[in-house]
Amino acid sequence: MFDSQVFVEEKVAEMRERIPGKAVIACSGGVDSTVAAVLVDRAIGERLLTVYVDTGLMRQGETEHVRGTFDKLGLHYKMVEAGQEFFAALKGHTDPERKRKAIGERFIRVFEREAKAFGAEFLVQGTIAPDWIESGDGVRDTIKSHHNVGGLPKDMSLKLVEPLWDLYKDEVRQVARHLRVEVSERQPFPGPALAIRVIGEADEESVRVVREACAIVEQELEAASEKGAMVRPWQYFAVLLPVQSVGVQGDRRAYGRTVAIRSVESVDGMTAAFSRIPYDVLERISLRITNEMKANVNRVVYDITHKPPATIEWE
Amino acid sequence: MRVLVVDNGGQWTHREWRVLRYLKVDTRIVPNTTPFEELGEVDALVLSGGAPNVGSETARMGNNGQYLDRADFPILGICAGMHFMAIHLGGSTGPAVRAEFGRTRLFVDQADELFSGLPGQFDVWESHNDEVKTIPEGFEVLAHSDTCPVEAMRSLRRPLYAVQFHPEVENTEFGEDIFRNFLKVVEEWHR
Repeated sequence: MFDSQVFVEEKVAEMRERIPGKAVIACSGGVDSTVAAVLVDRAIGERLLTVYVDTGLMRQGETEHVRGTFDKLGLHYKMVEAGQEFFAALKGHTDPERKRKAIGERFIRVFEREAKAFGAEFLVQGTIAPDWIESGDGVRDTIKSHHNVGGLPKDMSLKLVEPLWDLYKDEVRQVARHLRVEVSERQPFPGPALAIRVIGEADEESVRVVREACAIVEQELEAASEKGAMVRPWQYFAVLLPVQSVGVQGDRRAYGRTVAIRSVESVDGMTAAFSRIPYDVLERISLRITNEMKANVNRVVYDITHKPPATIEWE
Repeated sequence: MRVLVVDNGGQWTHREWRVLRYLKVDTRIVPNTTPFEELGEVDALVLSGGAPNVGSETARMGNNGQYLDRADFPILGICAGMHFMAIHLGGSTGPAVRAEFGRTRLFVDQADELFSGLPGQFDVWESHNDEVKTIPEGFEVLAHSDTCPVEAMRSLRRPLYAVQFHPEVENTEFGEDIFRNFLKVVEEWHR
C-alpha cells in the first residue's frame, strides 16, 4: 500500500535539495496543488510564494474560500486577479484543445511575472499522474492536454518541480490527511475550470451561466448526501451545452439552452462510473436550474456515460 | 521479485506499475524499445495496453516480439499486449464484432491460475476496438464476455498469459487478485 508518512519525509528532503533558491507554486486551492504547497513550504519555508490566480473561471465563492484555506495553513501567498487576461485569450476558441492550451499559456505568463517579481527561478506544480498520462507523450495518445503539462508553452523559462508526479488523487488525499490539510476531501476541479464546462466558446456570460448551474448541482448533491439520501459522489458538476431546444414557460414559447449534469464515482480519475443519483434528487436539481435560471436554460439532461468511453469532464 | 511493465503507450500502464508496487513487487516501467538484454535480471513482464492497432502498426509495439521469443519467464499481456501476443505466436486479431468500453460482464471458463479463488462471473472494465479472433496453437481460452469470445487466454506450453480487459484499473472487480494470482504463477515458475 501507499505510505504517506514515508512519502512526505522523502519529498520534503528531496524538495530541499532540488530548490536551492526561491520558488513560486501555482496553487488553485484544490487538493493536489495545496498538498504540493504544504510539502514545499515545509521544505523551504519563506522562499516559497504560493500564487493563486483568479482566472475569472472559478466557481461561486471560490476565491474567498481559497483565501481562507491559505490563511489557516499559514502560507506565504498572493492572490492574482487575471480574469480579463484569460477571457481575452479564450476569445474565438471553440476547440477544446485550443482552449486548454490558451489557458495553460496564460497561467505560465502570470507565473513568470510573479516569479520575476519574487526573484524565483522554480515553478512548483501539483501535477499528478493522470495529468501527464492524458496529456500524451512519445508513445501515448493525447486524450486532453492538461493545462499544467500539455498546455505549457514551449518557450517557458521557469524550471518545473512536480513532487506529486507519480501519485493519483486517492494517494494525494492520503498525503493531505497525513498533513492535516483540510482540503483533502474537496472534489476534483480541473485547472481550466469552468471554461471546459462551457462547450464551445467560453465567454463571460456563458461562464456566469455554468457557474450558477454548477453551484446548484453542488448544493443539492451535498445536501442530499448530508441527509443520507446518497453518498457524496467523487466529482459532480454542470456542463453548458451549445444546444437550444423548444420549451414552454408560462404559456410562452421558450427557446433556451441545455445543461447536462455530470456526476461520477471514481478512485483515481482514470476510470469512472456515472453516479446512481436518486431520481428525486435529480428532479430537485432540474427544477431549480430551470426555474432559477429560466432566462437561459429550459432543459436539463443527465449524463449516464462511464469513463471509458467518455472522460469525466466533457472537454 | 522483479516484474517490469513494458510501456506500449497505454492510459493505464502506470496503473499496472501502481498495482505491482502495492503488491510489494520490485517494479519499473520500461519503454517497449528496450532491447531484451537490457531488461536485466527480471522474473516476469507485463505487456501493457496501448493505442496501436497491433495488426497494422507492429512497429509501434517495439521489442515485444523479442521478449516473447526469448523470455524463459512468465509474461502477462494486457489488451494491445494480448493482441500482439496472439499475432506474434500465430493467432490472429481483427476489429471487435462489438467494441467494449467501460463495464462488461466477464465469464470465467477456466478457474485455475489467473482466476483462482474468484467467482465464475464478475464485472471488469474494458477499452478495446480490436479483439483476438483465433488464439495461437497450444493456447486455451480462460474467459469470455457476451460479445467477446476471448477475454483471457494462456499457453499450455509456456507461462504466457493474456487478458483483454484491464485488471489494473479500480473499477475492475478482483483486479488486484488477478495480479496476485499471476505473481503466484511467477513465484512457482522460479521455484
